[in-house]
Amino acid sequence: MRKFRHMDKGILTDSDMKQLKYRLLYFTMFCILILVCAIMIIPVLWMLLSGFKSADEMYAVPASFFPKEFRISKIIDFWNETKFYKYYITTFIMAGGAALADMLVSGMAGYVLSRLKPRGSRIIFVLCFWIMLLPGTMRTVPLYMSFKDVPIIHINLLDSYIPIWIMAAANAFNIILFKNFFDGISISLLEAAKIDGASNIKIFLKIIVPLSVPVFLVVGLFTFNGSLGQYFWPYILISNKSLEVLGVKIFKLKNESYTMDYQMLALVFSIVPQVIIFAIFQKQIMGGINIGGVKG
Amino acid sequence: MKTVRNLETVRKKKAGNFTAKFFKQELSAWVILLPAIICIYYVVIRPQVFGTAWSFYDMKGYNLGEFVGLENYRRVISDSMFMKSLINTFIYVGLSIVIGYMLPIIIAIMLNEMVHMRSSMRLMIYLPALMPATTTALLWYLMYYPDNGGLLNMVLSMFGKEPYGWLQDSGKTILYIVISMTWNGMGATVIYYFASLQGVSRDLFEAAIIDGAGFWKRCTTITVPHIIPIALLLLVRQIIGVFSIIDQPLQMTGGGPNGASSTLGLMAYNYGFVSVKPQFAMVVGVIMFLILIVFTLFYFFLDKKLSADI
Repeated sequence: MRKFRHMDKGILTDSDMKQLKYRLLYFTMFCILILVCAIMIIPVLWMLLSGFKSADEMYAVPASFFPKEFRISKIIDFWNETKFYKYYITTFIMAGGAALADMLVSGMAGYVLSRLKPRGSRIIFVLCFWIMLLPGTMRTVPLYMSFKDVPIIHINLLDSYIPIWIMAAANAFNIILFKNFFDGISISLLEAAKIDGASNIKIFLKIIVPLSVPVFLVVGLFTFNGSLGQYFWPYILISNKSLEVLGVKIFKLKNESYTMDYQMLALVFSIVPQVIIFAIFQKQIMGGINIGGVKG
Repeated sequence: MKTVRNLETVRKKKAGNFTAKFFKQELSAWVILLPAIICIYYVVIRPQVFGTAWSFYDMKGYNLGEFVGLENYRRVISDSMFMKSLINTFIYVGLSIVIGYMLPIIIAIMLNEMVHMRSSMRLMIYLPALMPATTTALLWYLMYYPDNGGLLNMVLSMFGKEPYGWLQDSGKTILYIVISMTWNGMGATVIYYFASLQGVSRDLFEAAIIDGAGFWKRCTTITVPHIIPIALLLLVRQIIGVFSIIDQPLQMTGGGPNGASSTLGLMAYNYGFVSVKPQFAMVVGVIMFLILIVFTLFYFFLDKKLSADI
């Protein structure tokens, strides 16, 4: 109970905890949260464990939550059979390109809007705010048509990741995010560089980027993570099997003749990249939600 | 005299130099901004404008035909699936607000009270949010599996009940899809509210305690007002997001059984990419846009200090 002394964030304080009714309230809330945690965790555990089961075990009555034995060889066989590493490579190329395009294009735009402010750029800034909340539901089909036959230059971008990268680069939210971050950089550094005759792009690459590594990391991580799970656009844009990505592959496995345990294994494979990234960058991701959360 | 003239030329030269430099600066700034302008025009503005315009034209495959006025609209609205999908879409939004909107707020407030196991609880609640939407949809599809293999039927069988057809139960399909979406999306929202709650000033609570305010009073007068601006923003985002839902019904039920979980977005997808009648897809898109823009404007009306917040 000594822990109650550390109550310094919430509604309840340590003096409240001397009363029985508040202790009961705290205990009730604790139990509800444990229940919530269980609901959040059990499906994940079930997914992880089911991959080890045999098909008979999956459908057995009475069912068991835990597998009888852990069949590692089964996982390796399935991995080799479906050649899952291929999908990791394609997905990483797609997501990496998206993250790079977003960081570069939005970063440069944020820099111009924050520091250079050429005449008329205010319009772009206001535009960014508007399109951020503008529902994008009706753009899908016209956008697909313009990827199929790019206006003016008339080339076909289907069966490539270029459309995904272009869409990642058009991110009004991140432009504003970068602008707000760059607004906080001390102006004297930039003035000094300007007097030395450095060009705008040089100032951006040599001064702004090194000073803004955290925000670039957060934007890059969120775009990368978001793109890893992309399903809809890769599904309609890419028909070439060698370019298929994870999200599309696991959906297609659903309609192939695999039993449920194999489908579970595929699902587990599909979240491995996210889990690894989260394990490494947990701090940045948890912190980034505070800015990225608005993005939904 | 001579020196004065010299000085003047020098000044003039400097001024000319300055304008040239100024223009160079302005121009180079616009060049750096150009990629973003092109991308936003190409991805956002152009499809928005042309999508609206093309909804009034006939199309052969993906090629533009002739102007037909409101004919496309008449045909879409008379499609038997249209009203069904429209109502379904509102049911999705309504259910997701009832289930998925209040829950993260309540959980975040409770989590903020915890001194025991707080960070591990936070991690566990966030864990499902790591999963991409596709993985979640497929996982829940398997959890709702109509025979004994599904997790939920496994639970039922423990109580000696017969397997239940979850997603096949046409009256409740949408409810089950919304539950799976909430499970996936809640983690990030909880963390977001939680971070905001950490910023509530301690003094406010101390003052409230001196005034003799109980838990409930403190919660409604201090905590809730603190998160209202964020809650409002997330509400509009959720309405817009769920209104445009395509992936989950497509992956979990394909819109079935018998159109019971179809949405406007799924209808547009089917028009645009399955039956290749893009003009109808654009009509559905325009109708969705007109409905959603009402919510967006309502939001702008309610929260004018958005620009100050972000």
